[in-house]
Amino acid sequence: MLLPLLTAATLLLRPSLAVFADEAWSVDYHFALLGEPRESTTFFHQPNPALKASLIYTLSEEGALGAVNPRDGSLVWRQPLQENSYSHNASFLRTGEGRDVVVSGIGNEIASWSADNGRLVWNVRTEGELRDVEILELSNGKETAGAKDAVALSAGPRPAVRRIDGATGAVKWEHMLDGSDEPYQVSASSTHIYAILLHKTMLGYLKLRVVSLDPVTGTKMDEYTLSSENELATADTIVSVGANSASPIIAWTDAAHSTLKVNVIGTKSIASFNIEKHGEETVERVRLHAPYHVNSLSHFLVHYETATSHWAEVYHIDAKNGKVAKAYSLPKLPGKGAFSTSTSDANVYFTRITRDELSTLSSASHGVLGRWPIGPLGVAGGVGEVIEPVHAVSEVSVKGDAVSAIRTVFLLSTGDWVLLRGGNAIWNRPEMLASTIAATFAAPAKIEALAEQLQAEAHSNPVSAYAHRLTRHLSELQRLPAFLVTLPQTLVKGLLGTSEDDVASDSFGFHQIITCATRSGRVLALDAGKPDRVLWNRQVADLKPDQSWQPRLSSPKPGVVTISSNAATGIQYNITDGEQIITTLPEDVEADAAAPRAVQYTMTNGALEAKVDSNTAWHFAPAQGEYIHSLIPRPVNDPVASIGKVLGDRRVLYKYLDPNLALLVTVKNSSSIASFYVLNTVSGAIIHTNTHTGIDITAPIASIVSENWFAYTFTVEAADDSPKGNHLVMGELFESLVPNDRGPLTGKSNYSSLETGTEPFTLTHTYQIPETISKLSVTRTRQGITSRQLLAVLPDSHALVGIPYPMLDPRRPVARDPTKEEQMEGLVRYSPVLDFDPKWYLSHQREVVGIKDVVTNPALIESTSLVFAYGLDVFGTKLSPSFSFDILGKDFNKLQMLATVAALAVLTFVVAPLVTRKQVDQRWKFM
Amino acid sequence: MKSLISLLCATLASAASLSITILPSMHLSNPASLPPSTHAVLTGAPGVRYDTPIRRDNSFKFPDIAGEASYLLTIHSRDHFFPPLRVDVTKAADGTYAETISAWQTFRGNEWSNKGSPYGTANNGVLAIQIQAASQKEFYQTRGGFDILGFLKSPMILMGLVSVVFIFGLPYIMDNMDPDTKQEFEEMQKKSPLTGSQGAANQMQNFDIASWLAGKK
Repeated sequence: MLLPLLTAATLLLRPSLAVFADEAWSVDYHFALLGEPRESTTFFHQPNPALKASLIYTLSEEGALGAVNPRDGSLVWRQPLQENSYSHNASFLRTGEGRDVVVSGIGNEIASWSADNGRLVWNVRTEGELRDVEILELSNGKETAGAKDAVALSAGPRPAVRRIDGATGAVKWEHMLDGSDEPYQVSASSTHIYAILLHKTMLGYLKLRVVSLDPVTGTKMDEYTLSSENELATADTIVSVGANSASPIIAWTDAAHSTLKVNVIGTKSIASFNIEKHGEETVERVRLHAPYHVNSLSHFLVHYETATSHWAEVYHIDAKNGKVAKAYSLPKLPGKGAFSTSTSDANVYFTRITRDELSTLSSASHGVLGRWPIGPLGVAGGVGEVIEPVHAVSEVSVKGDAVSAIRTVFLLSTGDWVLLRGGNAIWNRPEMLASTIAATFAAPAKIEALAEQLQAEAHSNPVSAYAHRLTRHLSELQRLPAFLVTLPQTLVKGLLGTSEDDVASDSFGFHQIITCATRSGRVLALDAGKPDRVLWNRQVADLKPDQSWQPRLSSPKPGVVTISSNAATGIQYNITDGEQIITTLPEDVEADAAAPRAVQYTMTNGALEAKVDSNTAWHFAPAQGEYIHSLIPRPVNDPVASIGKVLGDRRVLYKYLDPNLALLVTVKNSSSIASFYVLNTVSGAIIHTNTHTGIDITAPIASIVSENWFAYTFTVEAADDSPKGNHLVMGELFESLVPNDRGPLTGKSNYSSLETGTEPFTLTHTYQIPETISKLSVTRTRQGITSRQLLAVLPDSHALVGIPYPMLDPRRPVARDPTKEEQMEGLVRYSPVLDFDPKWYLSHQREVVGIKDVVTNPALIESTSLVFAYGLDVFGTKLSPSFSFDILGKDFNKLQMLATVAALAVLTFVVAPLVTRKQVDQRWKFM
Repeated sequence: MKSLISLLCATLASAASLSITILPSMHLSNPASLPPSTHAVLTGAPGVRYDTPIRRDNSFKFPDIAGEASYLLTIHSRDHFFPPLRVDVTKAADGTYAETISAWQTFRGNEWSNKGSPYGTANNGVLAIQIQAASQKEFYQTRGGFDILGFLKSPMILMGLVSVVFIFGLPYIMDNMDPDTKQEFEEMQKKSPLTGSQGAANQMQNFDIASWLAGKK
């Protein structure tokens, strides 16, 4: 009896160490995202001028630069330029026509990237923050062979314009801009470079100062100020400053959007146009779309937007005298629209995208060259939400007088990035997921229903339980015919391994719904078992552009997700369709009143303060000069199956299991010291403390508490006895280090941490790890029987690793080989270096970039934990830390099993006559 | 050209520069195949960290490493491991602006002073070193699938098969033997030390444990 139990136990203890080749790429899913693209930094470009194929380049809101294949929407390459920081910083992405590089500018770094593979060509840091980057397209024909030079405008205490060599990144010349004027943009025509600065007048209005420079030497040629009168109060109403066109323009409006002023840079005349009011509504936004090539016609389109409609006007610039004149206007249409500009030789085409139609016009005349109704986009929105286009870029090829092919990639108000070929959606990328700031798992309502019914039967008296069961079975019987009809199909599919189980028929709990809240105030849902599409996506919080929110997601019961933030208390949403659940009274008011948290602690003035019914229970203040870096409590739902650890000789070490453990990290900035405290959050007792010196406080310090152990990582400077690098400390708490002894708790079934001060015994081990860990998490299973895996985010390797617990066990014997008993337990000799085996990489060959957090949730079956990591990328997988002992995995070959059964059946049929003959013969012999 | 750069460095700022080129090796025959996410990190004193992506010419460049310090250089790539290096930037002894920059291999889990083989030293503050991939990352575990040949080759199965042949095959052979050979064979079996009436096996079988325990000879 004992033997099978022991084998089962060892099987459970033995961790699954690897990602299996047949499960990789199919069990896990990954969205390699860029973030919502910006209009000014998105374009089609041919990375190799010899080949006609073009890629879509973008530098997104998240500061990620990348190239996307327009054929299938796959990512070709990507460079996160601004890691884990989101700001409204201006960013620039430019390329020269027929060049094999793209030039990016963000923060104070300008970099040139190989367009086809994303490798760095050169990078330059400027002293101040970048205000603009342009590519110099000189028309003198001398500099067409090599790379094109870039011009950068930087702000800061010493604003300057620099010309940067396109091949090497060397600064060819720099021109310091004098005065206190704010640098705004740089614009290049074929003969001049113009720096546009904002000059603040005495009255607080802005005037535009234009400094023109010689492109070859960088010397100042001219300087003048445009009389913008009192129209410009802020820089926000400057519509556009064009560059790289035959006649670059600068356009602005007054605050009320009643007049549009246009100046062709280099001239001093300002053309003024009245913005016609279409109806009652005020114009909310004016945008300008102009071609970006020196050789193109100087035509541009002005796009007006009100709350409910939009229209546009096309203007022409006379190249000879610089006169701006209106050519034609496009009709007003309801809803939002987007315009894109494309060029072909000198011709300029404008493409208009509305809610339901795509049309292309030539800039020269108002005749429509092509018109396509937009087909279904395959994008999920909220209930009753109208999905609007936000901005677009197009690639148009024109034959004669008609558009032969058009590809448009545009951003929708939902955050999806969609490519249209003609009017048909080819792919969409859920780029809004890149700004996920909170996520949670929630079980669909249907799955838990059965569990609830079973629970009801278990907790009622036998007679009513029997009646309940009978009625349940009778109601299930009604579904029998439908089930029988689908049975053959299910069997065949199951046999071939092609069964596509959905949320409704999910008996393992893999199809949980993940809800993600994004920075822009949207909440969307994914099915963890079938994550290829977004289930729903709705605007939950109305945020202004500069507002941010801190959403907290939780699932109080199956089928429901609660979203709360600092501003609002929880609002419940239906998990399957995102519909708000309207309840007159919060349902769990009574539950709240019945079970108040005895001790509540909050952070006030940089110290922790705990209260019991408004009386201070305890107080934790960090030492002088220190501040609290992080506080990680033990997860609320952290089931533990066994209260002890079984040793090799069958004795038991009792775990110190306290639900109120928390790991507090304080750091001292001045002397790079970090202290780690394990606290009991009820009594305020410090259970374990450790202080490390020489710590890099700017590097991430990750920490976690689960079960009876804690772990934390940090980056440390070289000391006499330890090298520079990253460390992981693992600590485990025991009631006593003597086996079969519970110390002071012997014989007690209940205890209060307020009354009995039980000090646990702590074992720790420090491991040197090869790289920084930015976030720690742990797998969770339903009963806590399965062994745990520590999940670590490696920001440098762009990976997520699952470290098996035995590798980290603080009981690994030091400086000796493990004894036989220890070997039976699975302990190996301690070694200070812990290398991450590539087989532990849950993300294997996928590059998971910018992960900020990892959430885990148990599946319905004990062996499996669901993992979901978010940040810039979204990655998820199913993990069985002790192998899939309760489910037939991919290694189970159904066909082989059937073949064996068939072979046995055939054998039986063949052998049966022989046996009967033999039996008959025997009867004849003996009788 | 190189002297010009060093002159420039010496005059403009007292910053050292380091460039690392990846050479083809056994594990990585074509460095151009490295993904663009490959990057090098130079970790200095707390708070000092330089991070640079791979360039078009399979190199990493740290153009201005400020300050004299001891740095840890790690290279991260999707498919390959690279050895960690220690890079020291020290002030020149003769008081010039140029700094001495040197690189060695370093070992995790050893003292920081334990330096491995040197990768190069430059007195003018400009060091160019070459590095090779240490090994390839093997991400996938293949499952031990069912292999009929391997199954048959296993010693247990072989032993079983041999005994099956003996059990079923021998009586058949015996039956088909002509009477003379059969007699001869039986004679031989009787005489053989193992199976004959005085054979070891027979004695073993007829061993009377009770009498032996009772001390009977």
